[in-house]
Amino acid sequence: MSVQVIFLAAFGLAAVWFGIVVFRTHSMVRSALALLFSQTAIGAMFLVMETEFLGVLQIMMMATEMSIMAIFMVMFMMDPGGLGAMDMKHQRRLSLWAGLVAFGGATGLAFFANWGPLPAEIPDAAEQVRLLGFELLGRSMLIFESAGLTILTAMIAATAMAVLPGRKAEAQTSEPPGHEGHGA
Amino acid sequence: MTAIWLLLALAVGVYLLAVLEHWASTNRLRPTAPILAALSLLGSESLLPRKPDQLFFETGPVLLLIAALLSLAIIPLTPDLIVTDLATGALFFNAALSYVLVALIMAGWGPDGAYGMIGGWRFLGQLIAYAMLVVMPITAVAMRAESLSTIEIVLSQEGLWNIAYQPLGFALFLGAGMAMAFVPPFDLPIASGDLAGGVQAEYTGVRRLVFRLGRLVLVLSVASAATVFYLGGWLGPWLPGWAWSGVKILAVAAVMLAGGRLFPRVSEGGLLAWCWKLGIPLALANILLVGILVLVVPL
Amino acid sequence: MSMELIVALIASAALFGTGIYGALSQTNLVMIMMGIELILAAALVNLVAFWRYLHPDAIEGQMFVLIVMTVMAVEMAVGFGVAIARFRSRGSVEMEEAQELKG
Repeated sequence: MSVQVIFLAAFGLAAVWFGIVVFRTHSMVRSALALLFSQTAIGAMFLVMETEFLGVLQIMMMATEMSIMAIFMVMFMMDPGGLGAMDMKHQRRLSLWAGLVAFGGATGLAFFANWGPLPAEIPDAAEQVRLLGFELLGRSMLIFESAGLTILTAMIAATAMAVLPGRKAEAQTSEPPGHEGHGA
Repeated sequence: MTAIWLLLALAVGVYLLAVLEHWASTNRLRPTAPILAALSLLGSESLLPRKPDQLFFETGPVLLLIAALLSLAIIPLTPDLIVTDLATGALFFNAALSYVLVALIMAGWGPDGAYGMIGGWRFLGQLIAYAMLVVMPITAVAMRAESLSTIEIVLSQEGLWNIAYQPLGFALFLGAGMAMAFVPPFDLPIASGDLAGGVQAEYTGVRRLVFRLGRLVLVLSVASAATVFYLGGWLGPWLPGWAWSGVKILAVAAVMLAGGRLFPRVSEGGLLAWCWKLGIPLALANILLVGILVLVVPL
Repeated sequence: MSMELIVALIASAALFGTGIYGALSQTNLVMIMMGIELILAAALVNLVAFWRYLHPDAIEGQMFVLIVMTVMAVEMAVGFGVAIARFRSRGSVEMEEAQELKG
């Protein structure tokens, strides 16, 4: 058993454990940060598999994204501190069976497929970054230009949905707050 | 052997930075200020909040220190004095420092106090503002070096330092770095007047010492990155390489700590407006300009 | 049949199963999105494992990983925009209450 297998198993176990904690804990912020650490463990798996750029990118992006998810949870959910111990699930048996079937199916496929031998050598990290750069701006430039446009459209759409409609009319007619605060 | 030198450099750097910060904030130069402050914090009573989220309360300051220390791993003081020369060093710097956000959210949410929590979420607002302005100047720097490795980036500046080649990028990176290290005028998360101390307020005693130590290492890390990316690291005429690195890092840190106090505190709404309406078009223009220069000028 | 590939695939299968369990069993939109993030992360692990252990000469595998990361970010952005709009109009993002178009 090479070192890679041990590290892969350890980080994989950490990722799955944090992923389960996401849905079992009552505190919402703990849930979001558990997902963050699950994604960090996945990023560490990428680093173990010698894709340095992807691992570092995953760790960086997921830290920011999951923190944003944390603040959205605090905004939208009823019990962000988790002291209420409510049970907020539905379709429990169906979802449990669906999860187990998916896990069983994917694992069975992993064992029974004929994957072939391990490759002899892979490009090292600096070479991977160079190749990825050439690929991005060479053959796949159209894909990434459209991905960039998609991101821009998503940003504009999300901002447009999030801005309050009719905001300017409201702002002009409402009283400036603070007059009631002097009495306190 | 390099490990010992690096630890020594880290300790000296953090100590000098603490003296600089004390000088900038109180206008008195006291070389023993950090030791006295550390002793007083160690000796003071550790007040624990009533019902904290125990895991986050303990982990917040420690994660801040760890994230800042990790981000120093790819800073070269000389070509041999580096912890690890990752092929994606510049990106790793950003990845490690994104955990500062996680640490501040934990430190804000953990103690179950209103001002701390608001301070933590305000830092998230700041991150949305400065995150792009850190990555885009690094992109322009990596374009000139044709590599993400920090040693390659320093070696690419042998002809002309990046501060003269990409001054716009330097200004943006320094400003965004100050927001990342939450030094004034971007210190809303730990604002002493506005938020009664913010994230830092609920921590006392040893934990506050760890928090402030983490913040000093963070400022050191941002200053080191600015010298590696823009000021040419160890390159210079008579002094040995590590001396030049040290002098440059301290100069940048002095500019950050002292210059920032000249401006009033920026609210994160104003920071977001400035960064997204002015900063990001400037950063994109910087990338375009550097791209043209790299292709046309043989430097 | 290398051990590393099997271990990576089992880990990603477990993440996929957890993600499906979460996406199907949660009632709140934000929690459903967290389940979807887990599913996409499982797909990412699979992609990287296949690149590393089967086709390291084809860098398009890594490029596809970048595409999936882009999809994750875009889906989160649009999903949270929808959540904000829904929260403003109804006061909650519980999926049990979202039955206006039913039947």
